[in-house]
Amino acid sequence: MTLKRDTRERNGWTRREFLLGSAGWGIAASGSSLLLASCTKRDWRADTFIARVSTYEADIALVLRKGFRELGLEGGEIRGKRILLKPNLIEPHVGAGHINTHPNVVRGAAEAFLTLGASGVLVAEGPGHSRDSVLVLEESGLGDVLVEDHIPFLDLNYEPGYAVKNLGGRTRFSTLTLPAALAQVDWVVSLAKMKTHHWTGVTLSMKNLFGVMPGIYYGWPKNILHWEGIEQCIFDINATVKPHFAIVDGIVGMEGDGPIMGSPHHAGVVVLGRNLAAVDATGARIMGIDPTKVAHLVAASGRLGTIRESDILQRGEKVASVRTDFALVDKIHAQRGLRMR
Amino acid sequence: MRTAAMKRTGSRIFPHLEALRGRELDAGGFSHRPGGEYRADATAWAVMVLTATGTRKDLLEKARSRLAAGQKQDGRVCISSEHPEAYWPTPLAVLAWHGSPAHHEARSHAVKFLASTTGRHFVKDPEAPVKHDTSVKGWPWIENSHSMVEPTALSLIALRIAGIGETGRTREGTRMLMDRQLPQGGWNYGNTLVYGQELFPQPENTGLALSALAGSVVRQDVLRSLEYLESRIIRLRAPLSLGWGLLGLGAWGARPGKARSWVLESFKLQEKFGPYDTTLLSLLLLAFLAGGGLGSVLEGKGPAA
Repeated sequence: MTLKRDTRERNGWTRREFLLGSAGWGIAASGSSLLLASCTKRDWRADTFIARVSTYEADIALVLRKGFRELGLEGGEIRGKRILLKPNLIEPHVGAGHINTHPNVVRGAAEAFLTLGASGVLVAEGPGHSRDSVLVLEESGLGDVLVEDHIPFLDLNYEPGYAVKNLGGRTRFSTLTLPAALAQVDWVVSLAKMKTHHWTGVTLSMKNLFGVMPGIYYGWPKNILHWEGIEQCIFDINATVKPHFAIVDGIVGMEGDGPIMGSPHHAGVVVLGRNLAAVDATGARIMGIDPTKVAHLVAASGRLGTIRESDILQRGEKVASVRTDFALVDKIHAQRGLRMR
Repeated sequence: MRTAAMKRTGSRIFPHLEALRGRELDAGGFSHRPGGEYRADATAWAVMVLTATGTRKDLLEKARSRLAAGQKQDGRVCISSEHPEAYWPTPLAVLAWHGSPAHHEARSHAVKFLASTTGRHFVKDPEAPVKHDTSVKGWPWIENSHSMVEPTALSLIALRIAGIGETGRTREGTRMLMDRQLPQGGWNYGNTLVYGQELFPQPENTGLALSALAGSVVRQDVLRSLEYLESRIIRLRAPLSLGWGLLGLGAWGARPGKARSWVLESFKLQEKFGPYDTTLLSLLLLAFLAGGGLGSVLEGKGPAA
């Protein structure tokens, strides 16, 4: 009984709705994900915030709240909003925490948004490689954290979809089928992991949005998207979903043959910001990777945001003070020549 | 209503069977979740369970007819009418129509579709980073995409239960699964080595592939995969992985002695994670009832002792 009351008080959810359920929030779409995007090139300015966080035992919510303040994100903007946090849970394995967004980062983000007055926080992901939601929650360690904090989880792979016009136009898809939950929240936050990637060079907040595409329409892994071109799909998904914020878990990232088989790399940072292209460019620079050589970031620059160093106001730590080069593998085509000078 | 099978197996799964039946829709068929809308995959899974437990024939036929009503002209059964490219529920429909004379035509149509359909295949460049043979044909999740392990395994199971014996198509599907087997044992979604690194196996895919390969390859060919799954399943209670894991081992006569208690433990996880969807409920119920693989329940060999 206490649990039920706590759940409602904290997050507007009942226990019954807790995990593995349909979102069913039944609220009108904010329209934010449906707004027409202007993908024509224009000048952008963006702020990003870099925080040093040496361990997952740190008070990550406190760190994020400081970042929010630095980025001008105040309670007035969040109060009453429903927030969807989209972590990277592509393929969890016990003992391989560097593959996925750490549960404590998810917990910290949920707490930070609830503290700002969010009416509810939902964690949602459509894992690319695993169809077993319960296994994903157990192996990642996220399940226990969400249960303890009364935060609901939704597997986007099984969500009924709604078709929207593809606002990116880089693939042949005239529409994209997005999970219903996206139309029922006010904010989408990409809660990504800092990793190298063997197909795209890096995976940060933009690539992380592959996981919103439901497996029931796009398969496991989302192979039909690969055929359309991974970089083009990243552009189209981001242009259409129009995520509102990004938080990148770089406390322990992955280097080498990411996104699964690479090695842990302790970067000791969290990067956040409103513009995903700028956040990813900053993340890449911290990794010692030149974002102007990463195809999907180049495609986004000037259209979905900016990756130019001169257009990004770095708050918190400076890139140079936290840069730690992630190992690149020369035989991996997508990683060749990415090292930042 | 308690069926004969239920009496034999006791009341331990009765509440879960009732939960499943509670998802039946007035217009026929089943929803994916309580209170949800019709879904072909959920309906097919529910039909398989209700067939195995001897539930009312009229209810079953109504659900099967709803599945048939959604079948496309070429025989495919899709996740929704707006997404004809997502035809992965077709083998599930074949299994659901099994044993129903009224749906023989629908089943034959779906079987023909499967027999004439494949994924997107190509001869890879010798320098390609992926190790598997991209030219060997299986079945995909989605039209015009590469064939993957699970839809290939399900299609093979469906074709065999439908009485399609060894044909060129099923032999190639078997070859595809064998080619995607990881060198250290087990399967994942469908990649083996990328840039020289062997990827991780996953229990659900391994169970499904083993289910499909039983009777088509010799034990020695899948020994490492059986060993992987036997060691992995001891700690598994996640429903999809446990369900397919038990069916996969059962198909090779290696069903663990504690299978039923593990299934009940998995059902109990709903107290923590919330109600399972219809597929998961059904899969666990079938894994509980099966003595061997999926075929043992669908072929009416009755529940395990």
